[in-house]
Amino acid sequence: MSCAHDTAEPRRVLEGVSVLSNERVTEGVGLLVLRAPHVASTVRPGQFVHLRIARGRDFVLRRPFSVHRVRGESIEILYQVLGTGTREMSLLEPGAVCDLVGPLGAGWIVPEGLAHALIVTGGLGAAPLGMLAEQLAASGAAVTVAMGAPTAERLVARGLYEDVARVVDVATDDGSAGVHGFVTALSERLLGEHQFDVVYCCGPEAMQRIVAAQAAVAGVACQVSLERLMACGIGACLSCVVSTHSGLKRACVDGPVFNAEEVLWDSSEIPPKH
Amino acid sequence: MTVDMSVKVGNLELRNPVMTASGTFASGREFAEFVDLSHLGAIVTKGVSLNAWSGNASPRIAETSSGMLNSIGLQNPGVEAFIERDLAYLADVDVPVVVNVSGHSLAEYVALVERLDDHPQVNAFEINISCPNVDAGGMAFGTSCVPAAQITEACRAATMKPLIVKLSPNVTDIVEIALAVEAAGADAVSLINTLLGMAIDADTFKPKLARVVGGLSGPAIKPVALRMVWQVSNAVSVPVIGMGGIMTAEDAVEFMLAGASAVSVGTANFVDPTATMRVADGLSEFCRARGIARVSELTGALNTD
Repeated sequence: MSCAHDTAEPRRVLEGVSVLSNERVTEGVGLLVLRAPHVASTVRPGQFVHLRIARGRDFVLRRPFSVHRVRGESIEILYQVLGTGTREMSLLEPGAVCDLVGPLGAGWIVPEGLAHALIVTGGLGAAPLGMLAEQLAASGAAVTVAMGAPTAERLVARGLYEDVARVVDVATDDGSAGVHGFVTALSERLLGEHQFDVVYCCGPEAMQRIVAAQAAVAGVACQVSLERLMACGIGACLSCVVSTHSGLKRACVDGPVFNAEEVLWDSSEIPPKH
Repeated sequence: MTVDMSVKVGNLELRNPVMTASGTFASGREFAEFVDLSHLGAIVTKGVSLNAWSGNASPRIAETSSGMLNSIGLQNPGVEAFIERDLAYLADVDVPVVVNVSGHSLAEYVALVERLDDHPQVNAFEINISCPNVDAGGMAFGTSCVPAAQITEACRAATMKPLIVKLSPNVTDIVEIALAVEAAGADAVSLINTLLGMAIDADTFKPKLARVVGGLSGPAIKPVALRMVWQVSNAVSVPVIGMGGIMTAEDAVEFMLAGASAVSVGTANFVDPTATMRVADGLSEFCRARGIARVSELTGALNTD
């Protein structure tokens, strides 16, 4: 696959940021908007920032969050409240200051001449694909989206995708929107109906694994974004390893986006909720 | 006034006392965007072994109160890849390089030191006999006097370069280990490596680390590290490199007062990639503000009256 990336990686910095807004999107999900001029001007779709949410004895390490969208000098982080870190994050008020390291990691790769992309999201997996969907649509590519979530309310960023995609199909576990069932039923059907150049996927790892297998059967390249526990975020500590066909890779610098065919899908590596 | 920040650790001359703790800084390249590597006292590399080691299963880290546990397990691509990638990179960086070496057996330590000994980029060795995360060798060599001395003596015979031995805190009496490696030819000792610990998820009844146990680092271990640096520096005549939870310049001052000639910043690198520079600049400022002409005057200046 050829790569349309610039050759130079964006410079990674420790950037002081301030909270512009932090609002509840739905039960257990928030949208944090940070003024972060350096990251906003350099981040590429699929990259992440390593955020220091708070200080004190319970917050020794940073937390990695993908950048959902960029607007001017601000970046948007869509997050789910799962543990102590994200609970503290939900309490951040406008005007609060903190810092982040970023932009980090290898993001989504857009193959040259891409005409039609399939984006498959599960739950908060909609977060790291928002910026990509916007950029693909702006470049004139056709974007088809399959979204899955437990309920209609949890189909976060659905509006963004409906603004830029040609088709947005949804599935919910409880049937409150779209198809009653898993998003993988949608992706399987879409892969059978259309000719895609690439599949971009993010969500629970079990779901990504299924989508990767479907793409492989359809003969379409697939990229996935994997989550691991991380300490440094810049490639030094080797906490966030991903088992691949070419050995252990680091989610923080070799990923978080990987070619799906490279991944060995070792479920023991999936991080516990944090 | 200008503070003389230089220190000597045996024959190793450092621009300032701030080194990097092995395993927290890779070989420096990952930090080059954040830190002018030539402003460091020294880079202590991530542990290297003769052959490639794949490390432990995931999860490999857990955040704990004021600290973190790790059970990385010395994952590294082996010495040949280390020479090709890391030492080649460091050839263009003006900074002393201390290579941290590990082995599963005495023969592996010796072969590794011999392989690296004539390499121009290697300024010193740090012998890791204190990693709690490997099954064979590692900490087993560093928790009793006889194997600790044997490894030190064998490495000593293999190199004329400065030999630092990194000590484990997971012992009854760290002083007797320090004395044993000093007698066996160590030029300096570095301490402490991580404290063996564990973390449990009460919701799932599972350990937070796949290996169950791992090494505790960060501010949580600083009081233990300070105590051990103080005890060891009072007992040995070789220099002591102090580490364990240094996050700020003040922490570094405390280690020097306890008897350290130099210090290493470890876990702080994960939180703030510029931590080494913050500590070095702060140390200089600490001395300047107090009219201390040479930072080395802090070493062992603890007032216990």
